Amino acid sequence: MTANLVSTGEWRAAPGAVTTFQVASPDLEAVTRDLANLRLADMFGQDAGGGTVLRMVWANDTPGQAGYVITETPISGDEYPALSDITPAAFVEECEMYEQFGIRPATGKPLNRIMLPPRGALDAQLPTLGRGPESEPEEVRAPHTVGGQAFEFPFGPVRQVGVESLYYGIVTSGEEVIDLYLFTWHKHRGLEWRLQGQTPEAAIFYAERAEGLSAVATGWALAAAAEAVTGTRPPEPAQRTRAVALELERLYNHAAAMAALCQSTGLTVGQSAAEIALERLLRLNARAFGHRYLFGVITPGGVTRAPQADAIRAELPAAYGEFTRAASALLATNSFMDRLEATGVLTAAQAKELGMVGPVARATGLTADSRGVPLGPYREAASVNVATATAGDCLARFTVMIAEAAESVRLIGEFLDAGTSAPTEAGMAAPLPPAAGAGLGWAESPRGEALAWLALDDAGRITRARLRPGSVRNWRGFDDACRSQNVFTDIPIIEASFWLTAAGMAR
Amino acid sequence: MTAPVTSEAEQLRNTIARQFGRSLHIRTLDTGSCAVCEQEIRLLAAPHYDLHRLGFFFTPAPRHADLLLVTGPMIRAFAVAARKTYDAMPGPKVVVATGACALGGVYPQDPFTHGAVDAVLPVDVWIPGCPPSPLALLHGLGVAVGRLAEKVRAVPFTPDDDSERTVVSG
Amino acid sequence: MPLWFIRGLRRGVVTTRYPARTEESARFLPTPPAFRPHVLTSQTADLLVAICPSGALRRGGDAGDGDVLRYDVGRCTACGRCAAAAPHAVTSSGVWELAATDRSVLIKKIPIGGES
Repeated sequence: MTANLVSTGEWRAAPGAVTTFQVASPDLEAVTRDLANLRLADMFGQDAGGGTVLRMVWANDTPGQAGYVITETPISGDEYPALSDITPAAFVEECEMYEQFGIRPATGKPLNRIMLPPRGALDAQLPTLGRGPESEPEEVRAPHTVGGQAFEFPFGPVRQVGVESLYYGIVTSGEEVIDLYLFTWHKHRGLEWRLQGQTPEAAIFYAERAEGLSAVATGWALAAAAEAVTGTRPPEPAQRTRAVALELERLYNHAAAMAALCQSTGLTVGQSAAEIALERLLRLNARAFGHRYLFGVITPGGVTRAPQADAIRAELPAAYGEFTRAASALLATNSFMDRLEATGVLTAAQAKELGMVGPVARATGLTADSRGVPLGPYREAASVNVATATAGDCLARFTVMIAEAAESVRLIGEFLDAGTSAPTEAGMAAPLPPAAGAGLGWAESPRGEALAWLALDDAGRITRARLRPGSVRNWRGFDDACRSQNVFTDIPIIEASFWLTAAGMAR
Repeated sequence: MTAPVTSEAEQLRNTIARQFGRSLHIRTLDTGSCAVCEQEIRLLAAPHYDLHRLGFFFTPAPRHADLLLVTGPMIRAFAVAARKTYDAMPGPKVVVATGACALGGVYPQDPFTHGAVDAVLPVDVWIPGCPPSPLALLHGLGVAVGRLAEKVRAVPFTPDDDSERTVVSG
Repeated sequence: MPLWFIRGLRRGVVTTRYPARTEESARFLPTPPAFRPHVLTSQTADLLVAICPSGALRRGGDAGDGDVLRYDVGRCTACGRCAAAAPHAVTSSGVWELAATDRSVLIKKIPIGGES
């Protein structure tokens, strides 16, 4: 099987399909090279009787072939090939797997601290999903020379008012950002550990709160993973209900990002205008689904609530009108545009190499959007118009978000017209039979593809849950965007244009 | 369960009402939230809510802050930073725990989190919600400075129309 | 700048009058549940305790409370799972002004008075 995988390209999946291949440990390097022109969507371990199963999830973004390929490799010892040398996108997951399972690349490559605080910081060791690391991660930073003169200082985790805790180190020669590296262990809640033993229905509660600003997307990904295991298909109206909620989530996030961009550039008037749009959208969410942030809408098998379609139709034009008025005024404000243009530039090559997703990736010219993976209600809509730009700077990301908001409004109208759930059981959720197996789910969160993978036992309880919100893929590109020609005051602007969360990264 | 109100606590309440009732500076603190509580807090300064009209202001410096608005379940790895932020605030000061996570819900006490903010910091006001909306936060801030009445004490959380069941006779 | 100024003036004031006046949009906010003591059976109480994902519900209170559902409003996320599981026994409270100066004020003891 493995030889065929490499030579015949058997891995080219049918559109919308998820294909899983067993790859023996000696073949892993060759298979990874062969798959490396796909996008590495995720990599994670699973404890398996004395060893670890290493899974790599590859996304085929090619239109017409969009789907996922998963390779499973049992690792019996401590080491596996240096996958991040083949696909740099794998580096953060290599660090994470070392912390959780104690396995590391065979080259002895130095690894960084990701989820776990330094030993001795806490009274007791934190539980891990596997054996855990033998010794502390080395924490080697990227080499740099600035005429030999640079200083390094930590920033955070308590930062400016009203933002999440986030700890990063900045290396600077004075004003210019030479390097920037993130620590996320202050917000690591051990969600994947917590989900072990739970049912998918109970796990949704935590999946929504992994990254609350992507509650619908992360919940949908987990629900879809459970549905993949049990072969359940949610009723069509429920799928469209989910899609309406997902687009409403995208809309309010993009309004919030616009407000954050204004705040970071000191344009308080623009910030107020964007916040007016944001507040109207959140009130619309409460009218439509009973919660300002759309918690509690998704459940495995379908949805728990029917949307108030009339309220959405009545209020959405006005709320979106506030959004477009603020956006068009900003695009006509030179002092604002000057701060965004050529700030935080990412190239398409960087975004591809690091496996980045969402508006950040599409602003560099990449076109992948997981709504294009032809499952669920999006295939019924006239295909999603994917917004892209090429400059890869903050302005490009902003224009992509504006275009996506317009598309979200259009899609909401289409899904409402086609019919969303009515509050009768048939239209809300299909039951999930208890079934053992593994499954992958995905949804396009406002900040990019959210993935979830579940392994269930015979009683339908989770033995391994993998949550990979969109933020995880994109934080690694944040330091690239901050480097080079950018200065300190650009960092909040770049952070706003990425619109990620520390919670989604740390889980 | 907290100790009964003492005259010292009453004195503190009066001090707070006198000093903070007209102008209060707020520092926020995220001990591990999902990021949604922070979004509602940011909206306090937005046009629909405008906390400034009530004399409340945000400040990034703990040294200038009177009130610490805390979200999240107090992740153990963060507790040192939380304590440093609190200690950096000069007295008198008020701590408001906001959101279900901060009040002991969502995450129980486990190896990763303390489960509630009051495991590490002395909390004066608790605001439930997931997330507490900006309106709920305004109410909570008003209660914290003694300008608004606490209402939940008198709410039984049994509906008015819960009538006596009739006893079938005979 | 004139662009922003004129647009702002045209839109008018959107600021809530709360707390001086009630805020109309508040009626769409999710609120913690209220429980009907005379409908709440022992069996239903156990079901609700098991289904609450946030640990807000427990059986039994302090000594002398009798058979009660210990309901911690502070832990409640208003997720609606209890109301969906037992709609006859659980309803929405409609209360969103929940701030408390004493943690114990948020612990409610609901008598389990229903007949199985």
